[in-house]
Amino acid sequence: MSDRRIRIGMMSFAHMHAYSYAVCLQQMPDVEIAGIWHEDAAQGEALAREFAVPFISDVERFLDAGLDGVIICSANAHHRRDVERAAGRVRAILCEKPIAATLEDGRAIIERCRQTDTRLQIAFPVRFHPVFEQLKRLLDSGAAGRILAAECTNHGSMPGGWFVDRALSGGGAVIDHTVHVVDLLRWFWGAEVQEVYAEIGDSLLHPDLGIDDSGMLSFALANGVYATLDTSWSRPAAYPTWGDVKIEVIGDGGVLYADMSRQHISVSSQQSGKTQWRDWGGNMDLGLMRDFVAMVRQGHEPSITGEDGLAALEVALAAYRSAERGEPVRLPLTG
Amino acid sequence: MTRVGIIGAGAIARVHLDGWRRLPVELTGYYDIDRLASERAAAQFGGKVYESREALFADVDLVDVCAWGTEHADIVFAAASAGKAVICEKPLARRLKDAERMVATCEEAGVSLYPAHVVRFFPEYAQAKATLDSGALGKAGVLRTVRAGSFPRPGGEFHAPYYSDFTQSGGVILDVGIHDIDYARWCFGEVERVFARGTTFKEAPRNDHALIVLRFESGAIGHIQCSWAQPGGTFRTRLEIAGDGGIVEWDSLDTPSLMIHRRNADDSGVERSAYSPLAPDEQPYYAELAHFLSCFERGVEPQVTARDALMAVKISLAAMESMRSGLPITISEFQEDQP
Repeated sequence: MSDRRIRIGMMSFAHMHAYSYAVCLQQMPDVEIAGIWHEDAAQGEALAREFAVPFISDVERFLDAGLDGVIICSANAHHRRDVERAAGRVRAILCEKPIAATLEDGRAIIERCRQTDTRLQIAFPVRFHPVFEQLKRLLDSGAAGRILAAECTNHGSMPGGWFVDRALSGGGAVIDHTVHVVDLLRWFWGAEVQEVYAEIGDSLLHPDLGIDDSGMLSFALANGVYATLDTSWSRPAAYPTWGDVKIEVIGDGGVLYADMSRQHISVSSQQSGKTQWRDWGGNMDLGLMRDFVAMVRQGHEPSITGEDGLAALEVALAAYRSAERGEPVRLPLTG
Repeated sequence: MTRVGIIGAGAIARVHLDGWRRLPVELTGYYDIDRLASERAAAQFGGKVYESREALFADVDLVDVCAWGTEHADIVFAAASAGKAVICEKPLARRLKDAERMVATCEEAGVSLYPAHVVRFFPEYAQAKATLDSGALGKAGVLRTVRAGSFPRPGGEFHAPYYSDFTQSGGVILDVGIHDIDYARWCFGEVERVFARGTTFKEAPRNDHALIVLRFESGAIGHIQCSWAQPGGTFRTRLEIAGDGGIVEWDSLDTPSLMIHRRNADDSGVERSAYSPLAPDEQPYYAELAHFLSCFERGVEPQVTARDALMAVKISLAAMESMRSGLPITISEFQEDQP
């Protein structure tokens, strides 16, 4: 194994997670950000200056920059385009969640990476939050006895931009916030979601938004556990933080409460005119970056695969179908 | 002074009595099929022990029904035919048809029926509703509530046939979830449909638990967790209302206003307790009974009506039917299947 630095290319900052990923990469002594490519040249150049790395406006030149891996954070509908550009040119790709806006694109992404022998990992950072890592260990040890149910929320603030442009995102709050928690539930128990029922609100919390901004999903899992998830962008600008991921697991031996937003200090500043929470623990993005870079260096199978990303996307799309039809929808989806 | 009689002198009656004793009423007496329960209540709170409910009705103006849910309908019919106003604990009835007949019978008899949906009188819930009504949250969008406790042990006995026999109690949705269903409807208006998953038809009663998804006629959505599956001695409630202009949240797991950490006897550890003490007028059961008494004496409509209680039963039973059938249930079309 070489101890040379792993060269990572940042492929689009359309999704704001890219910024945090870049900050984390620059904390890792064995990694360098070898270049940034971004659709918007002015933004890309400003980011490159901020991180003191090259901005490469031409995507072909970017992919020729001797990269070991790329991190794709373009809009959901552009993931396929960018994976198809990068696969075979780099050894490994980290693709932001959801894997794509459609199942067809998701499958094409997996297939292209398979054909080109490119390692594909989907970015589900929440698995790397210490609270959820510990929750997983507790569940594995039977801490709550036999599990009956889970009540989950992944709330957020309304992100705006391409997130609310259906052509680029594939949907609003439901596609944005279903996949994180579904990935956690699949990871906890190795069980697939078998059925989804959903009540979805369009422009319910943000008048004239023109896309879903709220959702209440109910799942039946293959292991007999049932769960619900609130995906709503229900945190207003006045709220002290961006949102939450909370999971309450109910077992016949007890209840486990996990909330990744509790490790914060509360800051009340005249600058913002409101009280804000600043996290002091649980940098999950750093855990995701370390995991991805280890895979790039060692070449092993990804910890979170394209199939994991596809399965989570399928549940989100099933939720939209359920809301459209007014009935529970079985998985896998057909037609 | 209004004369009040209690039917059913068990655990919930004692909670009501703690409110009644601080109100300007004459506590006339008690009827319970278990005479000992009446005697215990009379010894503590005053008033007579009655040998029949009819004898009690003859002596009172207002009947407070604290018997098992399965008994509510019979008692209310009898009280209505005696021309007496009735306060009735929740659920109004175990069966939808009974609840419908109770409302109709009281209307025909011209007697008021006051349903004891006490959650509306919990100060934190009342404050959240007032905040919603003030416009601070904008248009109502998403409501979430939790009501999670351990399996009920009235009188400290774990063996409670009423609760574990779901043909009587209805299980956790009709006993616990109904509180939040009424509250949700109070805040967000009529419910269009309900979808629920839970353990009612699968698990032992002590694990009874449900996750309920609501769609309101306004287009708003909601979620209710109700549980008997908590470890013994724990009880947790949570409330969140989000609108297009703001959000309100409250969680009983958050730090209470008074905590006591005492060295134990041999200084080897700590005894912990926590409270959120309320002013006397803020006690929810007191506030509820004071409201009903005031409505009864002034002849005005209460803020929670018999029809509200009927709808809470209907939505609860529809949620149970959803759990059983695996399908969403439209409330306006729902008819209970059971005899």
